[in-house]
Amino acid sequence: MPIDKLFGTTIELVSKNLDLRAKNHMYLAGNVANAETPYYRSKTFSFEDQLKDAVRHREESAAPAVAAHPNHIPLKGSAHRIEDIEGIVDESNVNGLGRDGNGVDLEREMGRMAENQILFNASVKILAKKFEGLKYAIKGGN
Amino acid sequence: MDFFSSLEISASALTAERTRMNLIAGNMANANSTRTAEGGPYKRKDAVFTARQPGAPTFGETLSRFGSGTPTGVEVTAILEDQSSPRLQHDPKHPDADEKGFVALPNVSIIEEMADMITASRAYEANITAAQATKSMAMKALELGQ
Repeated sequence: MPIDKLFGTTIELVSKNLDLRAKNHMYLAGNVANAETPYYRSKTFSFEDQLKDAVRHREESAAPAVAAHPNHIPLKGSAHRIEDIEGIVDESNVNGLGRDGNGVDLEREMGRMAENQILFNASVKILAKKFEGLKYAIKGGN
Repeated sequence: MDFFSSLEISASALTAERTRMNLIAGNMANANSTRTAEGGPYKRKDAVFTARQPGAPTFGETLSRFGSGTPTGVEVTAILEDQSSPRLQHDPKHPDADEKGFVALPNVSIIEEMADMITASRAYEANITAAQATKSMAMKALELGQ
């Protein structure tokens, strides 16, 4: 579809990035909420590598070998389509050193949260500029 | 919706920390109470925190918890009394002193309570910051298309 040309490239990538950053924020909030829960192990959410792979794969071949259904086992050597990326959750397998066995490093979680927030805001800005550019073109430069 | 779940998670932690704060205040207020309704000196109370799913978990969520793990809020699941022995103080003039002149005072240590109070208030602040971050991200997303 020609409309894909208009919205399908940067906008798809950036909006997926926004979705995943919002999800990451939820995991970080969960870790901060459980900063005092005994034997809680912190969870890390990552999607950057998957997203990078998907972008690289899209650039390399026009028709990538993608699974027909998101729940199918991925084909060998194939990357996910950008819209199918769900991110990976890792649960740390060590308990904390404290007496309550809590594994949350509050400073690190807050640092990650700040980083995630800045990158989220940056993505919003990029997306807004992209729409602004489209609008400018639609109005014929007026 | 991710942002509302994030807010719910942070809010659950704020509630839990505030409950803990109330218990600490109660412990400190009763640091010298020698009589209670159950008899004997006051016993230190502490909250038990348990990680939990925001909202009622669906079958899918329960299943996925075994695999990758979903973000969890926190909940106070029990308020337990510290069963350690009371502090004994020699004060024969006290109305609750035993025949040897010892008074059984609550097993509350003001210093421990103060330290707990500081961790509770720091954790509360951290969750407020997280909630503010959620709010500002959601507001930022609303700016799209303006």
